[in-house]
Amino acid sequence: MEKQLLRLTVNGQEYELYINPKTLLVEAIRDHIGLIGTKRGCDTVSCGACTVMIDGASVKSCSVLAMQAEGAQITTIEGLEKNGKLAPIQKAFLDHGSYQCGFCAPGMIMSAQALLNENPAPTEWEIREGIEGNICRCTGYNSIVRAIDATAKGKYAEVKS
Amino acid sequence: MNKYTVINPHSEFKVINTHVHNIDGTAKVTGRATYTFDVKLPNMLYGKILRSPHAHAKILKIDYSRAMELPGVMGVVTGKEDTLGIKQGIWRRYQDLCDEQVLPVDKVRYIGEPVAAVAAITEEIAEKALDYIDVDYEVLPGVYEPLDAIKKDAPEIHEGFERNINVTRHIEWGDVDAAFEEAEYVREDWFKCGGQAHMCMETRAAVSSYTPDGKLTIYHSNQSPYYMQGLMAGVLGMREGDIRVISTYVGGGFGGKFELDGAIFCSAVLSRKLFKPVKIVYTREEDFIATKRRTPMFYYVRTGVKKDGTFCAREAKVFTNGGAYTGMGATALYLTGFFHSFPYRWKGYRYDGYRVYTNTLPSTSMRGFGAPQAMFCSEQQIEWIAADLGLDPIDMRRKNSHHEGYEVPGQATIASCGIDQCYDEIRKWINDKGKLPANRAIGISACGFMSGGIFNWFDTPYSFSSAVVSINQDGTVELFVGAQEIGQGSNTTLAIICAETLGVKIEDIKVHSGDTDYCPPDLGAWGSRQTLMAGNAVKMAAEAAKKQLLEFAYAQSGFNIVYDLDIKDRWVHAIARPERGYDYGELVKKAIRGKDGQKIVGRGYYTPHRKGMISPAYSYMLQGVEVEVDEETGKIKLVDSMTAHDCGQPINHLGLIGQLEGAFSMAAGYGYLEYMPYEDGKLMNPNLVDYKMIRATEMPPANIAEIDTYEPEGPYGAKEAGEGLTNPTAAAIGNALFHRFGIQMKECPITPEMILNALKEKKETEKERKGKK
Amino acid sequence: MNFKCPVCKKEWKNSLQVARHMFGTGDKPHKTWVDEQGKTQGFTFIDLMIEQATTPGNKSYVMLAELIEKAQDKL
Repeated sequence: MEKQLLRLTVNGQEYELYINPKTLLVEAIRDHIGLIGTKRGCDTVSCGACTVMIDGASVKSCSVLAMQAEGAQITTIEGLEKNGKLAPIQKAFLDHGSYQCGFCAPGMIMSAQALLNENPAPTEWEIREGIEGNICRCTGYNSIVRAIDATAKGKYAEVKS
Repeated sequence: MNKYTVINPHSEFKVINTHVHNIDGTAKVTGRATYTFDVKLPNMLYGKILRSPHAHAKILKIDYSRAMELPGVMGVVTGKEDTLGIKQGIWRRYQDLCDEQVLPVDKVRYIGEPVAAVAAITEEIAEKALDYIDVDYEVLPGVYEPLDAIKKDAPEIHEGFERNINVTRHIEWGDVDAAFEEAEYVREDWFKCGGQAHMCMETRAAVSSYTPDGKLTIYHSNQSPYYMQGLMAGVLGMREGDIRVISTYVGGGFGGKFELDGAIFCSAVLSRKLFKPVKIVYTREEDFIATKRRTPMFYYVRTGVKKDGTFCAREAKVFTNGGAYTGMGATALYLTGFFHSFPYRWKGYRYDGYRVYTNTLPSTSMRGFGAPQAMFCSEQQIEWIAADLGLDPIDMRRKNSHHEGYEVPGQATIASCGIDQCYDEIRKWINDKGKLPANRAIGISACGFMSGGIFNWFDTPYSFSSAVVSINQDGTVELFVGAQEIGQGSNTTLAIICAETLGVKIEDIKVHSGDTDYCPPDLGAWGSRQTLMAGNAVKMAAEAAKKQLLEFAYAQSGFNIVYDLDIKDRWVHAIARPERGYDYGELVKKAIRGKDGQKIVGRGYYTPHRKGMISPAYSYMLQGVEVEVDEETGKIKLVDSMTAHDCGQPINHLGLIGQLEGAFSMAAGYGYLEYMPYEDGKLMNPNLVDYKMIRATEMPPANIAEIDTYEPEGPYGAKEAGEGLTNPTAAAIGNALFHRFGIQMKECPITPEMILNALKEKKETEKERKGKK
Repeated sequence: MNFKCPVCKKEWKNSLQVARHMFGTGDKPHKTWVDEQGKTQGFTFIDLMIEQATTPGNKSYVMLAELIEKAQDKL
């Protein structure tokens, strides 16, 4: 298929890509732009390792074409920290040991952030449902749920002076 | 959400068991951690593996000329043309058990086995090229179940292995027959335990780069770079020292990543042929069908007890589905037999294990290493015996349990054991719950596990663990270990031990691991060995470095020699006068000057000696799970859980909780979700849609009561914590179903279908009984 | 009297225990000895072992024990 020009906005930065229109968003992010924080763990849209945010909502980036994300604000794990400061959800993951091998963490954190964007005060069950699409083989999820809960309760919020 | 309590905390440490963040955490939560999956080298090619569609077939001819004509294809390798055809295995001390050519020369033995590999300039072209490789097979009859494979007329899978018996294992102590004579009640049962996929989030992946100077560098996702280096040297006919294995971040292991896999072998063979880096990453499907799996087992258990519940004798016969090759399956066969006796005292114990070759995916070690299967059978049968005799199942277990100082005859000495307190904790948890709703029940299960194996089938001349501590002039510390971080937190645990021993802060320690060029050899991450073995090596190395520092401190202090000096929190001081001291950084500078500018370096190592046959130390635990069952659908839901756990002195607080919760989720999956059905050697669910595992909504609270004991052989009293908790859950779920419905689940995973069948069967038996009356 | 293992000469009080020892060890020398005995009678070490493992009773052990007893004189 003929390659096409595509403009993607990832973490606030615009990238011009010249790619096959069948390219998946995850391939564009990882292989073409080179942001390899986003992972891939399956071929069946089942594991959530490739989760990113499109306009603040969580999307498995293996489930959409890069073309479909044109014009939208895409956020990957690399886009959460600002000037070397971790986002509250990242601090919470660190503080609760909510990752082990870390391979699911980028996708898991994006799902968690998207959940909090949509529902700033989720119940425990809502948190569990919010990350149901993300597999973590290491932690057993409870430490992840604790981290999201603590973030929602403002424990890791930036203190404004 | 979760309760974590420590029973009898007894130690005061500065770093150990405090709230320390994982030292590689920032890299992991910010996306900076670079896995083999992410490695990209200049001039790199992409490889793909052609796999056998047949479970058992001779390879007659491979013709890849058409593939070579595709633009972008750089090369193809086959077993016959491009390898030495060496049969390898991780039990390399035993020639017979080295039975696997990763690229077989003349015969394939399971569906998915590599047949050829291709390298191309893109992954897509490599994938496409597979369709242009023509292979002529002579299909042979296959055999897929161990009890079929031992029949006289079964196809021969490996030449010379009569009736497909791969390995046998025999464990025996006491006079078993006499002990059975003493028994007043004997019960026998047959069980069937399924396989389980390791399902690491990062699939098998390798990037190999062979250069014209004859050196090979491999990035590889594995649990033991040293093993990989040794095994690769063997199959390639190279020197270990000419191979460098780098495994910085590993996306999970769980026992599945310390044998040679197709990714590492094929990428290396391709790279050696083409002199370019070659990357191979398995798809999820390949990871399911062509890696290894937990060993499926058939268990026969006969147990004799006295009417008061005293255990007399036990006899077990086990047939395991070995699949096509040996791998670590030989160790699993041994450990399942040993841990089947756990955690109880048997006057007589006899185990006969048979590992049988079949034309299926090879089986191997997986977290728990044979013990989850052993406990599924043992702990359910014990529950049924208690019910048969009208005894309290906790009391009966307690009465027969190991205790400190107990010797498992000829096998092991138990130096620390907290199981007795575990019974109290679980009893309390059950009592506090009061009456449960009608559709719920609680099941319990006890078990124990090892802290590293005392086995050297790899035939290493090195000590089992080694560490080097090197102190910089500003007091920061470089810790070099061969222990492998796979997410379990070993780098953090070892940094904690190093910081505590030296008397510095955790942020002073930089851990170097996962690189055979710079790290000392170590057997790696398996058998729950690293906290105890690598931990002891690190402690020794740190003590050696600290001694060099304190020599200078003594020399300049002018104190009476009866005073002891120490360093804690970077403060050098006399123990009797802690307020008078000075900064550790100052001491380091002086010590380096005093050594003519040499760095302060300490070395440590550990190899177990005189510690029995299995392991230097054992963890103990008792778990209770509250299970809800839908009688209409047979669906299981875990509502709550509590584990009382003895891992000696906890070292890495956050890591420990993570390991216990994580092992529990994997164990629960094994108990009722994770199912690997085969039809004529073909796995029927090789994807994450059909292979079900625990997700966040299925995970119950995992409450923990940590029994703080002291293990004399472990660093600061520590022992195993990462693996043992994979063992009890399947049995605990089974026991809950037994208490709820009176049904006995003899097969795992316990699927809804099995529950419905058992309920139906039970109703029919009851009807018959009523009819007879 | 004590019974010796015809291969490694370890001793036990009864021949059944020697038979168990031979199955349990199962290395090449032990296996070969049983295979030699079986040549005339049409069984192998593995045949006996599988029979023992899959059927109730101790038929294989008893059979092997008898062979061990017969062999004692030659040791």
